[in-house]
Amino acid sequence: MRDSNDAIAWPFYVGSALALIVLVVPVLIVILTGLNAGDYMTFPPQGLSLRWIKSFLTSPTFVPAYLFSFGLAAATMAIATVIGTMAAIWIQRRGGRLAKILRGLFILPLVLPGVVIGLALYVFLISTGLPLARTFYGLLVGHVIVTTPLVIATVTAALVDFDRSLEDAARSLGATAWQAFFRITLPLISGGIGAGALFAFIVSFGQFEVSLFLSTPDLQPLPIAIYTSLRYRFEPTAAAAGIFAIALVVTSTVISARLVNFRRLFGGR
Amino acid sequence: MAAAMSKSDALVLDPARSIGRRPVRRPMPKLWLLVLPASLFFLIFFILPVASLLGMSFNKTIPGVLGFSSALTLDNYVRIFTRSLYFDAIFRSVGIGVLVSLVCLLLGYPLAYVIARTKVPARVTVLTILVLSSMQLDMVIRLYGLMVLLGDNGLINQMLLASGLVSAPLHLMYNTFGVVVGLVQVTLPFMIMSLIGVIRQIPPSFEEAARSLGASRAAAFRHVALPLSMPGILSGSLLVFAMSISSYVVPALMGGWKVLVLPIHVYQQIAEAGRWQFGAAIAAVLFLTSLLAVIVYDRAAAYIAGGRS
Amino acid sequence: MTDRKDRMPFVANRRQILKASAGLGLAATGVSLFNINHAFSKDVSYDGQPFDAGGATITIAEWGGFWQETMRKHLLDKFEKDFNCKVQYDSSFPWFPKFVASGPKNPPYAVTNWNLPEMFKTAKAGDYFMPQDELIANVPNAKGLWPFAKQNSIGLTWAFSRYCYVYRTDTGLQPPASFQDFWDKRYAGKRGTYVTTNTLQMVFFLTACGAYGKDFYDYDAGYDAMKKAMPMKVSDFTGNMQALVERGEVEIAVQNDGEVYLQKTKGIPVDVYLWDNPRPALTQTKTVSRYLDPVQKKLALALVDRTMDPAFQTAVGEVFFYRPTARDAKLPKGLIDQGVKNDADALKDLWIPDWNRYLEDEDDIVETVNGIFAS
Repeated sequence: MRDSNDAIAWPFYVGSALALIVLVVPVLIVILTGLNAGDYMTFPPQGLSLRWIKSFLTSPTFVPAYLFSFGLAAATMAIATVIGTMAAIWIQRRGGRLAKILRGLFILPLVLPGVVIGLALYVFLISTGLPLARTFYGLLVGHVIVTTPLVIATVTAALVDFDRSLEDAARSLGATAWQAFFRITLPLISGGIGAGALFAFIVSFGQFEVSLFLSTPDLQPLPIAIYTSLRYRFEPTAAAAGIFAIALVVTSTVISARLVNFRRLFGGR
Repeated sequence: MAAAMSKSDALVLDPARSIGRRPVRRPMPKLWLLVLPASLFFLIFFILPVASLLGMSFNKTIPGVLGFSSALTLDNYVRIFTRSLYFDAIFRSVGIGVLVSLVCLLLGYPLAYVIARTKVPARVTVLTILVLSSMQLDMVIRLYGLMVLLGDNGLINQMLLASGLVSAPLHLMYNTFGVVVGLVQVTLPFMIMSLIGVIRQIPPSFEEAARSLGASRAAAFRHVALPLSMPGILSGSLLVFAMSISSYVVPALMGGWKVLVLPIHVYQQIAEAGRWQFGAAIAAVLFLTSLLAVIVYDRAAAYIAGGRS
Repeated sequence: MTDRKDRMPFVANRRQILKASAGLGLAATGVSLFNINHAFSKDVSYDGQPFDAGGATITIAEWGGFWQETMRKHLLDKFEKDFNCKVQYDSSFPWFPKFVASGPKNPPYAVTNWNLPEMFKTAKAGDYFMPQDELIANVPNAKGLWPFAKQNSIGLTWAFSRYCYVYRTDTGLQPPASFQDFWDKRYAGKRGTYVTTNTLQMVFFLTACGAYGKDFYDYDAGYDAMKKAMPMKVSDFTGNMQALVERGEVEIAVQNDGEVYLQKTKGIPVDVYLWDNPRPALTQTKTVSRYLDPVQKKLALALVDRTMDPAFQTAVGEVFFYRPTARDAKLPKGLIDQGVKNDADALKDLWIPDWNRYLEDEDDIVETVNGIFAS
């Protein structure tokens, strides 16, 4: 259909290859380390085996932490996506100074160190006596605070591209504003919302800094469990846990790619 | 009603039918309800906690004591600005943040461009997975992976030594270089994701048109695609900058305590020394530095938008 | 010193804030955190016998990962059964800010496992711990401990190992023969230590003060020694140092000896150099929080009592190559092979720095050493 004119210039391929090397090589090293047959973390591995994978799967620490993180990330994603999308739509519709101020406010959690947010929230929950401190819900609140900005940013970007005349058309045919919104706008920006939700899930699942002070006794999210474990002993089991974390991202990305076409997900035409 | 609504779906595809009717753009009733949950949530669980923590920075530092008293002082801020250990950290943090943003832009733009312009959905999915999977690499494990790669005995140094290019191993981690590499690794996916959406909205026909008018490929890119990508470049850079200067775990693990940035001081003062008031003051300085960056971004964005219209 | 109570409105004003939040309907979720009756918590005593705690929960703080699994296996699972209780285990270090955030009357943990500096720091910040004599009086197994276990004035030490140098044996270099050999030029650029706020670095620093200065608190001598040892690889925690040594990035580092003996059994070419003047020990010490409800306090005492049991200390020693503080505990074969003994002589010269003195100056030390490491 399109002629060779349309091909991408070679410098872009070279740059892409470089970027992919930076991103992917450490991932490969960790995967190989997790498949190591040796007694401790070595690279290159002393032969391949599934012993550390087995050790992960039977670990009384890592498996519950993995499942806990999964639940936490799913709950975070649900809340952040809903309140973030709503706020993004308001920002887009309302416009003006107030919208600008609130947009700035919602971005703030990204510019403060996660450890500060976690610590501030921890002290706040303890000193006000809110029954959330050191519970799953306290941790959830912290994760929602740091993931909502990402949802707002992604959905706002999708809305910028959105053609308001479609909604106007529906309304001129008698639909109420809310009906037009749910039937027209929401489906059209679903790609952006999906991307925001995926972001929220991934960032929550990998979150370390905010969780450090908010994490609950007995059940810790995976990154904290790996950290507290590796502090005292560098074990390939943690690398095996890393493999499963990466596998989860691959799976969730493939699923979202099936649900929403990625080309649309990035707001393309 | 339901029937009317389902009809409107079809109408969307046929905008001609709405011609002749004046669109009525009244505001949605009770629009503010949309922003209420997020606002309340942020007020209670972010603004109040962070404000009370930062408020303590105006109290005298007493180790192990936590709380706000009405005896105010600027001692903590004076200390930050008179001791080079803390004062230098401000510039070190900002410098690293700017450098990481630039590197991420240079590395991320080509990949974002390729993903945005690739037509085969399966290929897009594969590339996206490669970008996203690195986001899920736990930092402590990533440290190990990078040690294998960048350490004095790491793969890169082994190759360099074997090829005779260097005679002694290069120090590639436990210094500023290591911190930059670690931060680029962590933030690059965010840069790429910010860019893809924007690049995708630039119709390839714009560049084709420029080329058909005789512009070289490079010129077409520089005068068409690049300016149109500016919103994404700015927002991606801001995101990467903010994440870089607020990161504690990356400088802590990759810097070998030789790269003392603001978040490391905050953590040491509060969590380890129990000097909440002083730690809060450093956090406040970090916060203001980020705000400054946001303002600069806003001005730049406004300038670019103004220049285009 | 200023009166601390006046400066803790977060704690003092809790009731007002509670009222306010109850007004907002925020506290109306049916969970009460403040049902602690302090009036009678002083009168609790424990006689060493199991009792039925009626399903009560106590929260403890201790190291995570494999350590946690080991504690579950050798101590906690059985403890929960014997006392009909539940143990909540928190491994997200550090503990000190969590104590301070909660205040002495609402401690985050009933039993806490520490290295000494953080414990002293917390004790300095408020009335957090049960006095040591009260603790000893209610831990029957304390009678079987070496005096060293009590040599900290706050808690009870149940395990320790000696500070040492770990060095690679495959480098062809002469092994270290003195504390000062760390500074020898054969180790230039291959030295490792820890961040200023890590206990291992604190002890290493004070020992260097003693070796190069007039006493262990001659900080200027210590700063000078740190400068001369640079460049060093500075690590956050022991796990990272293990990896650095295993990969040969570091050829000599500060470590605790049990860890190195364990590495040796895995076939890593490393060995231990122990210096004798002084002989600092890395300790595992447990404290009981002072203000707990009676059932919690009794459970806490029972848990500390179980920790002082020779059989438990023997079992943990097998896993971590830590040395026991109970007279009747047996050393693991791995340690006996290294010539380690569990007798009065082996423990009598162990050195614990004057942590309160160190903490008075910690502020300056952290700033100065941070500056040296960063240069």
